[in-house]
Amino acid sequence: MSDRFRVRRGRAIVAAALALVVVAGLAAAGTATARTTKSCGTVTLNEQAWAGSTANTYVAKAVLQKIGCKVNITKITEIPVYQAMADGKTDAVLEDWQHVAQYKQYITKQHTVVMGGPNGVTGHIGWYIPTYLMQQYPQFKTWQGLKGKETVFKSPESGSQGMFLGGDPSYVQKDKQLIQALGLNFKFVSVGAEPAQVARWTQLYKQKKPVIFYWYTPQYLNLQYKLSEVQLPKRFKGCLDDFATGGGSVAKYKCAYDHIVLNKVFSSKFAKGGSPAFPILKRFSWTNKDQELVAKYIAGDHLNSDKAAQKWVAANQAKVNKWLGK
Amino acid sequence: MSAATDYAAPAATIPAAHPWWRGRVGLVVGVALAMLVGYLGWKSTLPWSNRLVWNSLTSYLDRFQTWLSDSRNTPHPNFVFAIFNGFATFLDNLVSWFTTFFEKLTWVGTVALGTLVVLRFGRWQQAVGVLAAFASFALMGLWEQSVQTFALIFAAVGLSLVVGMPLGVIAGRSDRFLRFLTPLLDAAQIVPAFAYLMPVVILFSVGPGAAVLTTMIYAIPPAIRITALGIRGVPVNTVEAAAAMGSTRWQTVAKVQLPLARRMLLLAVNQTILFALSMVVIAGLIGGAGLGDVVTSGLYSNPALAILGGVAIVIMAIALDRSTESMANRTDPARRHLTDDKKLRLRLFTLASVAGVGLAVGLGHAFGAGGIYSGRTAQDWLLRSVQKGLDYVQNPSTWIFHITEPTGNFIVQRGLEPLTNFFVETPWPVMFVGIVAIAFLVSGLRPAAITAIMFATIGVTGEWATSMGTLSQVLIATLITIGVGVALGVWAAESRIVDRILRPINDVLQTLPQLVYIIPFIYLMPVSQVPGIVASVLYAVPVVIRLVASGLREVSPDTVEAAGAFGATRRQVLLKVKIPLARDAIMLGVNQGIIMVLAVVVIAGLVGSGGLGYEVAQGLQRNAFGLGVVASVAILALGIALDRTTRGRARARRERAL
Repeated sequence: MSDRFRVRRGRAIVAAALALVVVAGLAAAGTATARTTKSCGTVTLNEQAWAGSTANTYVAKAVLQKIGCKVNITKITEIPVYQAMADGKTDAVLEDWQHVAQYKQYITKQHTVVMGGPNGVTGHIGWYIPTYLMQQYPQFKTWQGLKGKETVFKSPESGSQGMFLGGDPSYVQKDKQLIQALGLNFKFVSVGAEPAQVARWTQLYKQKKPVIFYWYTPQYLNLQYKLSEVQLPKRFKGCLDDFATGGGSVAKYKCAYDHIVLNKVFSSKFAKGGSPAFPILKRFSWTNKDQELVAKYIAGDHLNSDKAAQKWVAANQAKVNKWLGK
Repeated sequence: MSAATDYAAPAATIPAAHPWWRGRVGLVVGVALAMLVGYLGWKSTLPWSNRLVWNSLTSYLDRFQTWLSDSRNTPHPNFVFAIFNGFATFLDNLVSWFTTFFEKLTWVGTVALGTLVVLRFGRWQQAVGVLAAFASFALMGLWEQSVQTFALIFAAVGLSLVVGMPLGVIAGRSDRFLRFLTPLLDAAQIVPAFAYLMPVVILFSVGPGAAVLTTMIYAIPPAIRITALGIRGVPVNTVEAAAAMGSTRWQTVAKVQLPLARRMLLLAVNQTILFALSMVVIAGLIGGAGLGDVVTSGLYSNPALAILGGVAIVIMAIALDRSTESMANRTDPARRHLTDDKKLRLRLFTLASVAGVGLAVGLGHAFGAGGIYSGRTAQDWLLRSVQKGLDYVQNPSTWIFHITEPTGNFIVQRGLEPLTNFFVETPWPVMFVGIVAIAFLVSGLRPAAITAIMFATIGVTGEWATSMGTLSQVLIATLITIGVGVALGVWAAESRIVDRILRPINDVLQTLPQLVYIIPFIYLMPVSQVPGIVASVLYAVPVVIRLVASGLREVSPDTVEAAGAFGATRRQVLLKVKIPLARDAIMLGVNQGIIMVLAVVVIAGLVGSGGLGYEVAQGLQRNAFGLGVVASVAILALGIALDRTTRGRARARRERAL
């Protein structure tokens, strides 16, 4: 009997609580945002995992919203996003790190994706060490200085060799081939995805220990940690260029990392659809510094992505007007 | 089979005078020692020869993907693609229909609907839980993402059960069908989603549809397996009695087997939900939207946000789990004894609930509440607090770090590295013969033959060295998992308190995306493989605990009472009665433990285990489809070999009994 009573009383409490929530919620809400969409309609941009990509996407979003576009953001990884563009489910990727095989397949062969030209940012991948280590061992400026000194980078999992900390498996890389081609006594240790890699090297950085790792610019963490690059040989005997001759066969990639011009790519359907957003995105172009700043707002200062983008847009009207064709 | 032989079957399972391991343990140790001699004497002299590798396999696979993409993306793809396209569109529409439905209800209406449904069919405590879950999504500022994820899960779980349960019933009634299905289920659970994500994307494009499909591939196997186990758990004499009364086959299934297997069917629903939620993050990679996105993109630029996203997934999992369970219990016809008076009251309550939802929706629209909760949130404050915690963990001068770092180093230097070296550097013929011999000694001829085929496959695909590295990690993770899992499972079955404590922990571990909780471990134990092993163990242990505990609880109370009446102590009852009778469930637990460890190999690769997992991840993301598939095949082969080795004897015994 008492059990049943308890159940019923419980229900009453829940019902009362619910009613309270409904009323309180209604009082608190009441911000129905009516979106004004003009002829532009909806534009779908793809944001990728790294902070630089978030910066591009949200700045473009802020600009497109100015002319009344509704902007959707998808978050699909680098390779599958090509199929998304082929299907017209994603309209634009604003930062593509030269996916040559995809260019061949989707742009040249299938014509389902079109090249949008550079976004103004130059990417660079390389081998980096903390600056305090560079001061301690000035010979690490170039790769020759590493020879014979590999054991400086010893770690528990590298045995008697030095540890080379590899990059995110999804990023462009050829460190194993480089280590082999240069005859360095490094063990390639993959710590996995970028957050894991960052966790590892920042931990060593904080302890002022030696570490050498795969890293790149533009990257917002470069504003936070002092890093120096180890010069790799540009070309050497047996070196083949990545995407000219060596394309396809990873075994032939032996050159140093290039400076990569980052491209915008668009869905063909979007490019031919006559959206007023297309010419704006086509003109979209900024510098490494711009991007790093916005990325730092977002990832370093933990500012909301939309607010970070609006902050930059407000401070850089001239650039934005150029994109808008004014 | 007659009832008499069936009755005799449990008697045969009582340990013989000479337990199998007494003779074999010695032999297995002998084989291991011989392998050790091989390792010490001929260290890295004989790696798998390149001549024994099918080198062109990866490029064939790559060409297959290119062909698939080219023929799909022409202006007029053929009808096969049109079918896939139609199916994807159907799934897309289904998910977006659910999402818009919730948005149309306004957030107030959604809260009212969720709470009142649980209140009407479940217990009021769970309704409070649902209300709290909604409140937490609103507080965390993740309302929209949570609704998207819920719509996705709702569609995926519904379809998984629609497909899985009938197959499970058939598999429960037919041994042949079960035998046919088992390798497929193993494959679906072990082959990492990363490997088939790209073909799925080419066939079904990106978006919620593809995400639902990927989730289903992973969530259907537990639905089938547990349903089948439930049907098989129905006492044979009951089924025979039904047949003797003249039931048709359909009547036997619907009126006897399904109702009696109710508990296991509910476990199936429950596990399907949890499995589906554990795919949310991967679904986020191909446009699944929702909380998965929050986790993946948060990890790169705002780890605190990723943690909030992970917490939201866990809250959703626990709320769904508890409320489905309470609804199932309260609607259990065996416990309900409805009087007319009660029926009337329930009907009134239903009417009141419908009216309540209607009222809430009406009010929501009248006051202009959005489809998404847009009021004040505590997100900023939560993010700051979480970030503080992360900063503390990241600080290498705290006392925790001074304990965890040496521990991690010790595990790697004294445990993992030597073991990996042993596996990788032993001449391959020695390793091959040794493993097959152990499989033969432990499980018999058939499993040994399968093991041999699997390891040969690994060699031919050119993954020998990588696989041996992964194998050593999987072995360590599996041993820890089974040790911890069986012990805790037995304890949970024996003690209600332990069960109460373990349940929420298990839910959290199974549904919190591994990448979220593993990041702190990377800071604390900065050596690459350890976080990967921690991830595998934490993910696999809950399933082992659950299956072991539920198997022990299913043991008939009469038998336990009888044993007690004969003067058996609690310990004797446990060791001589309960565990032998629950052996099937325990073995299923062990078996699933291995499969779960392998399912996390890719995630482990993403947090530093390297090996096969890293290659699979690269396969998707660096457009090395062939490499990814080959590495997945190696993972699958490892899984089947380990699975058959551990399951061989139980199965052989069952087959003899048939």
